[in-house]
Amino acid sequence: MKLVLFLAAAGLLAQDDLPARLDVVARAATAMLDGDVCRSIQTPRSAKFLLETDPRDPWKASDNFDVNDDAFIATKKTLMRLARLCPEACDVNLWMPVPASPPRIQILIRNVHEMSQFWTWGDLHQDVPAEMKRVLATGERVTVRRRPGMISVLTPVYDSLGEIAGLAEVVSQTTPDLRENVK
Amino acid sequence: MYHNRLWRAVALVSVCACQGADLSALPEHARPDPFGAIVAADKVPGAAPWREIHLETARGGYVSCHLVVKLPGGDYQVQIAPFPAASGIQVELYREWFHYVPSAQGYYPDALIPAPTPYRSRIPEPDNRIAKQVAQPFWLDFWTPAATPPGSYETSATLRAEGKTISLLIKLQVLRTVIPAEDAVAVDHNSYGTSWLATQYPELVSRVGADFYSSAAFYELIHAYHRVFYEHRGVFHQLGYGHAGKVGPEFAPRLEGSGASKHVAGWTQYDRHYRPLLDGSAFAGTHRGARPIPFVYLPINPEWPASFVNWGEPGYEREFINVVGEMERHFRAAGWTSTRFEMFFNHKKRYKGFPWDGDEVRFSRDDAYFREYARLLRAAVPADSPVKFVFRADVSWTMERQFKELAGLVNFWVCGGGEFGWYDYAPKLLKDRGDIVWIYGGTPPVTEASSQVTVDVIRPWIWGIDGFVHWQTTDAGEDPWFHFAGGAEALVYPGGRFGIDAPIPSVRLKIQRNAVQDVDLLNALAAHRDIRRLQAEAVRRFNDTGLSEWRTPRPPMADRNPEDVSNADYEDAMPKNPKFTHLDAAAWQRVRGYVLEQLREAK
Repeated sequence: MKLVLFLAAAGLLAQDDLPARLDVVARAATAMLDGDVCRSIQTPRSAKFLLETDPRDPWKASDNFDVNDDAFIATKKTLMRLARLCPEACDVNLWMPVPASPPRIQILIRNVHEMSQFWTWGDLHQDVPAEMKRVLATGERVTVRRRPGMISVLTPVYDSLGEIAGLAEVVSQTTPDLRENVK
Repeated sequence: MYHNRLWRAVALVSVCACQGADLSALPEHARPDPFGAIVAADKVPGAAPWREIHLETARGGYVSCHLVVKLPGGDYQVQIAPFPAASGIQVELYREWFHYVPSAQGYYPDALIPAPTPYRSRIPEPDNRIAKQVAQPFWLDFWTPAATPPGSYETSATLRAEGKTISLLIKLQVLRTVIPAEDAVAVDHNSYGTSWLATQYPELVSRVGADFYSSAAFYELIHAYHRVFYEHRGVFHQLGYGHAGKVGPEFAPRLEGSGASKHVAGWTQYDRHYRPLLDGSAFAGTHRGARPIPFVYLPINPEWPASFVNWGEPGYEREFINVVGEMERHFRAAGWTSTRFEMFFNHKKRYKGFPWDGDEVRFSRDDAYFREYARLLRAAVPADSPVKFVFRADVSWTMERQFKELAGLVNFWVCGGGEFGWYDYAPKLLKDRGDIVWIYGGTPPVTEASSQVTVDVIRPWIWGIDGFVHWQTTDAGEDPWFHFAGGAEALVYPGGRFGIDAPIPSVRLKIQRNAVQDVDLLNALAAHRDIRRLQAEAVRRFNDTGLSEWRTPRPPMADRNPEDVSNADYEDAMPKNPKFTHLDAAAWQRVRGYVLEQLREAK
């Protein structure tokens, strides 16, 4: 019985410790990611189409979605290296605001575990969740537990002027789903 | 397979068609509804129930029809007597499930539930729960082995209800011709990952428990999907990775290390998944016999086996070559040399995993990535390898450019069916250089004429290419049984509802299979006849078209920059020929009539 209690406590401790460990990665993400480069990932042409709607072409925005390879690849590699700092499998996703009224936000780079607490599969852009609004407004790091077993730390990404350009989502899962989003 | 002069309605003395119990039959294209009529999409002038079943078939194949029990209500038993044992002919009976389609406000039969004979139940069928149901159809499949002696065979179907016994004569004329074992066109059925299996088989998961994904039941279920499509003269594909490169563990060998040390650390799950498919043993006991699957996706994507973190650096190439080289050696050692292993990139940049489109390239600069992967594959696989690695690309917006730019690199093209029709020179161009060419598209929902599913069987054949892909075929929706969206992404259904830990087929799948058999026969006839004349007559009978009508003249938009073209432009450029948009349900029956005439002539 004592052993069971010990193991249970150890499990809880490990789970409780996860946000702190993800927070370390989040701090590094804020330090390492270049907001100016992140802003240049989506091509101007693609950004122009992003909010366009056409009743005869519902895929207009997604068919025209495009990125600058160099900026995308450099940033993705940084995100992937940051994820290596996580003690468990984790992803570091890049989210960038979309100028719109009301404001929107888009996930701009995802990673290999295909985890996120915020992305609705397939959405090109979406409403800005309250937690992300807080990060973008205040620069605070915010820990989020929306989905059972999933923990995210949202952290700001700054540009060379010191303004918040976007945010990174450092996300992990206590029990990884090896097949989710394999589609 | 072949209905010969099927419209004869011969009343049997013992049948009472108008009052009380009744037993009749309908040709495969005339799908019954629950109220004693034919579904609206399949109504054709002159259709009448058969009072005898007269079918004609080549050997080594199936022939089918609907058997319809009509009853105002109450218990019944239906039974099919076996054919003489020496004939080897087997009868397979399926109860047809009526799906309620809210958008059409009506019922359509599609899922086929294997039924024992005799089958006992009542009308209304308790589990289908249709008020005022008076008709229950059954799909009848007759399998005739290649060894069955040609000749005429008889048996009967019997209905017992309301204290009466009603019999229906079944006559099967077996022709000398044997349907070729190899299909003239590959009809492929695509799917994605395996997470949907747990969703669609909750009863099985509950029984197996938390270890479902490592259980024998899981792998058996995957193999059952391959079997159902194989037995219906089709191919099954399961893509094993996501748009950001996540690979399902059963789709790839386990890897360890990084950079120069990256290597395969274990084949256990991969081999449990693929060995029975690649050596053919998964198909033992099927009518078509044990044969390796002809095609399979590799797990290769921009994140596997080489990590994208090293993209453009020596480590990426080393990881790729190390692992793909090991795969080649593993496949070669196992003797898996007849299957085509496909390096295929499905990701799209809109899903934010990678900076280029692997699927349906729209921006031509993305072709550079294809060149690099072609180089890597060549570096990884020995030139004299007996293992068939192919580089597959699914193309649409820029296919014409890619045919030129990626010539000799990509050798397996899966092309958007609409656009491919603009390029009448393309089949010869690609086939002359030895490429495999398929087209892709959707699946006709149940609300369309039953013959619609045969369009994409005959089209590849008359275009001189190799196959057609239904891009999704295993997603019947959240409630296919009582609130059905129509089945545009499904040709099979999960059998769990009926106590079957496997997929069950559909009416559309069987109509498609029978059409594949017919095309196989027509193609075989072309060994001694002018194939263009065979094709011309087939399409004339199908929908009163000429071969030229199956292609679209190259529209002016084909010469525009693909990046400036929209889906609306495509829509405007596509033909609106009513011969295709208003296909009648009997279209394929007329082709079958032509096939039969040719077979009799050949005899």
